[in-house]
Amino acid sequence: MSVARRTFIQLGAGATVGILFTPTVWKALDDVSIWTQNWPWIPKLKYGAVEAKPTVSKMCESGCAVKVRTVAGEPFGTMGNEDNPISGGGICPLCANGVQVKNSPNRIKAPMLDGQEITWEKAQEVVAEKLAAAGSKVAVISGDQTGTANEVFSALLADKGSDAFYMMPCDMQAADKAWTGLMGGSGQVGYDLEGADLVLLAGADALESWGPTVANLKSFAANESGKFIFAGPMQTKTASVTSLWVPVPAEGMAAFTLGIAYYVLQAGKTVDTADFGQFKAMVMSEYSPAKVEAATGVKADRMADLAKQLLTASNPVVVPAGPVAAHGAAFALNLLLGGAMKALPEFGKAIPSAMSRSEMLKADILEGVDTDLLFIYEANPAYALPEKVKAGFTVAFDVVQTETTATANLVLPSLHPYERFDDLASPYGLAAATYSLGAPVCKPSVDAISAATFILGLADLGFESFEEVLGAKAEAVGADMEALQGGEAFVAEGETPAAASLAANVLGKAAVPVKGTGAVGLAPYTLLNVGTANQATTPNAPCTISNNQLVGDHMVVMMGSATAKQLGVSVGSKVKLSGGKGDCEALVQIFEGVMPGVVAAPLGLGHTVGDEFSKGKGDNVYKILTVSSEAAAGASTWAGSTVNVAKI
Amino acid sequence: MQTKEFKIRWGMVIDIDKCTGCGACMVGCQVENNIAPMTKSDPYNYVQALTKPRDDASNKLRTLTWMNVYELSNGKAFPEHETAYLPRPCMQCGSPACVPVCPVVATDKNEEGGIVSQIYPRCIGCRYCMAACPYHARYFNWWDPLWPEGMDKGLSPSTSVRPRGVVEKCSFCHSRYLQAKDKARMDGEDPMNLPEGAYTTACADICPTKAITFGDLNNPEHKVHELSKSPHAFRLLEKLGLHPQVYYMSEREWVRKQGDNYNAEAGGHH
Ligand code: SF4
Ligand code: SF4
Repeated sequence: MSVARRTFIQLGAGATVGILFTPTVWKALDDVSIWTQNWPWIPKLKYGAVEAKPTVSKMCESGCAVKVRTVAGEPFGTMGNEDNPISGGGICPLCANGVQVKNSPNRIKAPMLDGQEITWEKAQEVVAEKLAAAGSKVAVISGDQTGTANEVFSALLADKGSDAFYMMPCDMQAADKAWTGLMGGSGQVGYDLEGADLVLLAGADALESWGPTVANLKSFAANESGKFIFAGPMQTKTASVTSLWVPVPAEGMAAFTLGIAYYVLQAGKTVDTADFGQFKAMVMSEYSPAKVEAATGVKADRMADLAKQLLTASNPVVVPAGPVAAHGAAFALNLLLGGAMKALPEFGKAIPSAMSRSEMLKADILEGVDTDLLFIYEANPAYALPEKVKAGFTVAFDVVQTETTATANLVLPSLHPYERFDDLASPYGLAAATYSLGAPVCKPSVDAISAATFILGLADLGFESFEEVLGAKAEAVGADMEALQGGEAFVAEGETPAAASLAANVLGKAAVPVKGTGAVGLAPYTLLNVGTANQATTPNAPCTISNNQLVGDHMVVMMGSATAKQLGVSVGSKVKLSGGKGDCEALVQIFEGVMPGVVAAPLGLGHTVGDEFSKGKGDNVYKILTVSSEAAAGASTWAGSTVNVAKI
Repeated sequence: MQTKEFKIRWGMVIDIDKCTGCGACMVGCQVENNIAPMTKSDPYNYVQALTKPRDDASNKLRTLTWMNVYELSNGKAFPEHETAYLPRPCMQCGSPACVPVCPVVATDKNEEGGIVSQIYPRCIGCRYCMAACPYHARYFNWWDPLWPEGMDKGLSPSTSVRPRGVVEKCSFCHSRYLQAKDKARMDGEDPMNLPEGAYTTACADICPTKAITFGDLNNPEHKVHELSKSPHAFRLLEKLGLHPQVYYMSEREWVRKQGDNYNAEAGGHH
């Protein structure tokens, strides 16, 4: 019998139909598949009551108010907290993986002295001894921008006669230096992104990584009629949803802002400060549109158009990021416009001897730290600072192992935010002073304690435990403890901002772009799913990182085709970027949303310590940032960093 | 295949002009549905010496991401360049391409609500459905799902863990649908007429800009009903006739054009 192809197909079809209608085959297939699903390593689910318990998360710099979902008391997921204005129901990719970080094998499981496990009692003894020996040569570096734990640390410093309290570099710090330092303003600056009808994000990547990101995203979504404009060296994720992207180099942001102020002043806007006349004269002569165009490349008519839009808006706001001068320029412009910038009242202190937030923001860590005894609280300076921090003895508190805990003398495990009492006082950027409280939603997974409680055991600061401190804080804030514990926030409206000066002197000198000598500008950017200065990417996030940031284990940098041509590279070229005090390896990707002459590189990759999801992935861009001094403003900045790019 | 009619048609409208591509929906989906973070090492593989290490999440060809966010570009050079982000769950197609090709009927569209189901214990891993789905919404489980030590404590109670060798996909968080119906029954309400918000997916829930709206496309009291009719609404590859139950919205014409693989300017899908 000849088996023609046609006959064969008919035979085959018959067989398939046969299989489909024969129950034995079905049963066998089902059995086999079910049997193969019963391997012992396929985890079984836990069943029980499902609850959602409110607390605060400290995964990103600003922190967020969340609800932790638990099954039979065991946390498994995180969701937004609709009752709290900070999250309003949504969360970011970091918070979405908060439980997974809590359960990570990368948790620090017990106190470690020079790599050896010790007891908490021993740890207490060692620190007490070091503290007695150090005298006033004690310093603190904090990676927490919002917590009252900072009050505990700063009260300890006060007790020892030291004021060496350092915050990791942040926009809140630059804003404070400009607002309370140079301009004599009071309170903390906030921006009403929900109520503004025109928002100019002057470098603030507010819908991705700047300030209280989730609250910003919520305001953006709620503000249906408002117009958002983003200015910066690259088309960030924020720029992808704003109505306009204005390409401005990071180091030129202050000049660009003053270029807009030129037109606003020309339209007759005034502010009641002693140096208004001087400010006006300075802007009119030094920041004429032609001069700004020459310095930054932004066309004069673009600035004129933006000024017109800001002037016709009824409630505009300019949101700065980066150097102190960029902040000062934006604040001056906001004061001229009289829009949606706010000055938030500072909440009362729980510990009278502690520093105020503004005082905590004064010291400049980029100028270097040199001390006998250093406490590092949930910060990762060894990874995120280009400069080395020098200390005789370092005590690092953290939840997971990091580059900093790897080099510290004594490592003390912190409770994960879902296991501890903690709080969030006015995350920087919110338009209203907001206070939220978090309580443990589960038992600690490791032998950790509250870092602040540990510190309270070292000196008589008037409290036994951090929980007690938080009680005093809630009282000082004037909030209802029960409502706070239920997940609600205490909110105090912001005030109309007033400044004593427009910092004419300083801005006149500090707003001119200062740029490094490398071949191309460097635009470092942060994406929450890639990680932040404190938090590496989380276990479930690597698959969300696009191949514009990471391909395999290689970091990817983006540039426009014109820049690639200038550098003689193309898509996939392997390059070495050198700048600051180091270099980085990367692959090239073409993205036309980066200004010509600029290469955009993601911060947050290149960890050498951490879990298998973050370690060895990409390279660390903090190594190639150049710290320059904003001499007139008395601050350091890494805006204006440049790099040389060599093909390898 | 003929389009089946359902009284309830669960669907999504995703506003691309609000999506910042942050990735929270992707992470939220993985946590909700117990998708294991991909790990290189396998403590249960006793023949390590003979096998290659597993892929980690850097290998996008082997990842499990029921929800995936794509980056779009208008294809123009600086400064005319524009970019946008497009989250893509399973479209729960009205006439799904994946269903008729399955030899063991592991996937089907039968339940009231119009969700395309996937019965994992029945799946034999032949991957015909993956080949058939033009949206790349189906994923093959190349590796046994393993959580590093201690991390399996935090499993969600919603979805059982799938073993290696089966095809997985977004189910519109089906367990949440079952829970919502149960709750309605307990409260003496009609489970076939759930109010807006009684059933919503993890990705829609988590999205901080509320770019994803979820509901019954057939129910005029649900927001998606109206939104899906917006002049700015479109569906992906509509010309293929699969009738997706996921709609997108954008005021930007270049975005809408890319949704349908529009090729007039030779740019096409990026
Ligand atoms: S999107 Fe793909 S997998 Fe989902 S129903 Fe349609 S064809 Fe099937
Ligand atoms: S609907 Fe549920 S399963 Fe589908 S993508 Fe969203 S979170 Fe994942």
